[in-house]
Amino acid sequence: MTGVYESPKTRINTSMLSQYISRPVCFVGRLEKVHPSGKVLTLVDGEGKSASVELNEPLDEELSGIVEIIGTLSNKGAIMATSYTQYREDKVPFDLELYNEGLKVLHDFPQHYPFEVSMSG
Amino acid sequence: MTVRLSEGAIESLSKGTEVNNPILQCVNIRKIDGGNGVSRFRVMMSDGLHTMSSFMLSTQLNPMAEQNQLATNCVCVLKRSVTNVLKDGRRVVVILDIEVLKSADQMPGKIGDPTPYVEGQSKAPSTAPAPTARPLQPQNGSDGSTYRPSAQSFGKKPMAAPNTPGGSSKVVPIASLNPYQSKWTIRARVTNKSAIRTWSNSRGDGKLFSMELVDESGEIRATGFNNEVDKFFSLIEQGKVFYISKGTLKIANKQFSSLKNDYEMTLNGETSIIPCEDSNDVPMLQCDFVSIADLESREKDTILDVIGVCKNAEDVARIMTKNSREVSKRNIQLIDMSGRVIQLTMWGSDAETFDGSGQPILAIKGARLSDFGGRSLSTLYSSTVMINPDIPEAYKLRGWYDKEGHALDGQSMTELRGPGGGGNTNWKTLAEVKNEHLGHGDKADYFSCIATIVYIRKENCLYQACPSKDCNKKVVDQQNGMFRCEKCDKEFPDFKYRLMLSANIADFGDNQWVTCFQDTAETLLGQNSSYLGQLKDTNEAAFDEVFQHANFNTFVFRNRVKLETYNDESRIKVTVVDAKPVDHREYSKRLIINIRKLAAQ
Repeated sequence: MTGVYESPKTRINTSMLSQYISRPVCFVGRLEKVHPSGKVLTLVDGEGKSASVELNEPLDEELSGIVEIIGTLSNKGAIMATSYTQYREDKVPFDLELYNEGLKVLHDFPQHYPFEVSMSG
Repeated sequence: MTVRLSEGAIESLSKGTEVNNPILQCVNIRKIDGGNGVSRFRVMMSDGLHTMSSFMLSTQLNPMAEQNQLATNCVCVLKRSVTNVLKDGRRVVVILDIEVLKSADQMPGKIGDPTPYVEGQSKAPSTAPAPTARPLQPQNGSDGSTYRPSAQSFGKKPMAAPNTPGGSSKVVPIASLNPYQSKWTIRARVTNKSAIRTWSNSRGDGKLFSMELVDESGEIRATGFNNEVDKFFSLIEQGKVFYISKGTLKIANKQFSSLKNDYEMTLNGETSIIPCEDSNDVPMLQCDFVSIADLESREKDTILDVIGVCKNAEDVARIMTKNSREVSKRNIQLIDMSGRVIQLTMWGSDAETFDGSGQPILAIKGARLSDFGGRSLSTLYSSTVMINPDIPEAYKLRGWYDKEGHALDGQSMTELRGPGGGGNTNWKTLAEVKNEHLGHGDKADYFSCIATIVYIRKENCLYQACPSKDCNKKVVDQQNGMFRCEKCDKEFPDFKYRLMLSANIADFGDNQWVTCFQDTAETLLGQNSSYLGQLKDTNEAAFDEVFQHANFNTFVFRNRVKLETYNDESRIKVTVVDAKPVDHREYSKRLIINIRKLAAQ
């Protein structure tokens, strides 16, 4: 799993999940549900589509709002989280839809974002 | 052919007797070109027995003639008209409403063999019809006017109009006023009254005021000059109803007025204005509200009426106009049921006294639409601003806003101030500013950029300025504890520190030296000038720290750029007009839009 930290992690949204099976990704979404086990989270992306996140350990803190997940995609399309970070929104609310627009720019113009090229190439 | 003309109607009309919806045939129609581009149509009508040529079509009906609905031989019913008696006793029937029963091509020709009606010159203006007459209660003649309550009782049907304070003339609707009549009285509510304005030019001095008048038929603007200002200004009260007679009518100058009337009135020596106490039936302000979403498709500089909820009000700001007059302005965001937001700028006393708390409903009559920052609105001297007006639209809007509107973000028609430092933002990178030779023209150019401070020169950044309010002139140290201001021609025991900062700002492509004055300099340094002055005199290390700390902060700059020449040497001078922290959300949005635009090319 150490590879996830070292390699580039493509920022993706829910609709792109299936293209990144077993690849390291970065997913930002609004936390919608925590499974009673504390090991499965449901996040909603800027397009309103939800994605499932699996944690190694049950959640040991209160989590809400916008969360960034770094992890690898399982064959089933769930994100196996390596780490998660809650975004602070105390001063400015995070605009998830705008984030999604930016994310689409990254994917639409891979030639200008070589980070992405090395990943998909 | 079953059309029957109302035989005898012409005779009655020309005698001034009331005729109820007469059916007449148009015998001839002629366009009369008005001097100022407004044409009128003169119509000859026949009732089968007689013809009369002195019918005038009121201008709002001009399209009927222009589109040939009203043409020779067509048969129509005259639904509403006003008969005016000219000074020489001739009568002119102004057609206010007419309906074509049989179009010209449905008619074989002229009906019967009418002859021109020769009038028996009756002179009884008081019996003239008042087709729009409504119950008109006499006023309480407590002001000693010549008006006496008439014993007549006025029914609901059109009938003779009562005597009015003007004497023999009758109360007519505003819509029927035109330059071809002289004896008339209107009963109208003053919906807007201006302050007295004075002028002074090569032809002399003078003063004027204007007001807007409304009755149920329409609206008109009236202006009084000099003597009429003295005579009437104090009498006129906004919101009150008055009888006004004998003003001069002329073609309205649409540039200065949004009122729906082709004419405007000038008060003259013969004009009389008398308050009317009983005024409930005279409508309040007439507004034709335009939805905010529709403002996009309207032409710039249009004068229009808008109603909206004040979503947000900025603080009042004082600015200098071109002719160095200081005025107050205040920006307000208005939202309406279209869910769109527009910025309204209020000026003068409206701006100063406005209280945006509680998100009041604002109705503005006669605001000017500008293309500043996309689309924005501005109040004018002639605008009427009403806060929480007592009109149905306002209640509807309040209900909508409280229920759902308050939760709407509302897409703005105006590119908001903030990140851009102003509407109509001319975004440039620093390299573009140089490559495009901004500032080399006759006029200064303005641009906005996102840039980072890389260096601020601390030498000579503070100067000693005159302490009197609004004077920022540099003072001369008299070396005796006194400081002299040349501009105020006074000496002071103290001074205030002001900033004039030279900074180097950079973006990814280039860098640029810029000058910042007081406010923008304080923004960049994050400290006020008097504190900085104190540090400079007492604690140099802390003073230096402020400058160090200011480096590598990023701002949205709005700059003025101009080529300036000193001693035959030309240099581009860039002055910061405004510096604001970056709103990353707005900035990202703009970048994404730009990327998409570039990709589409």
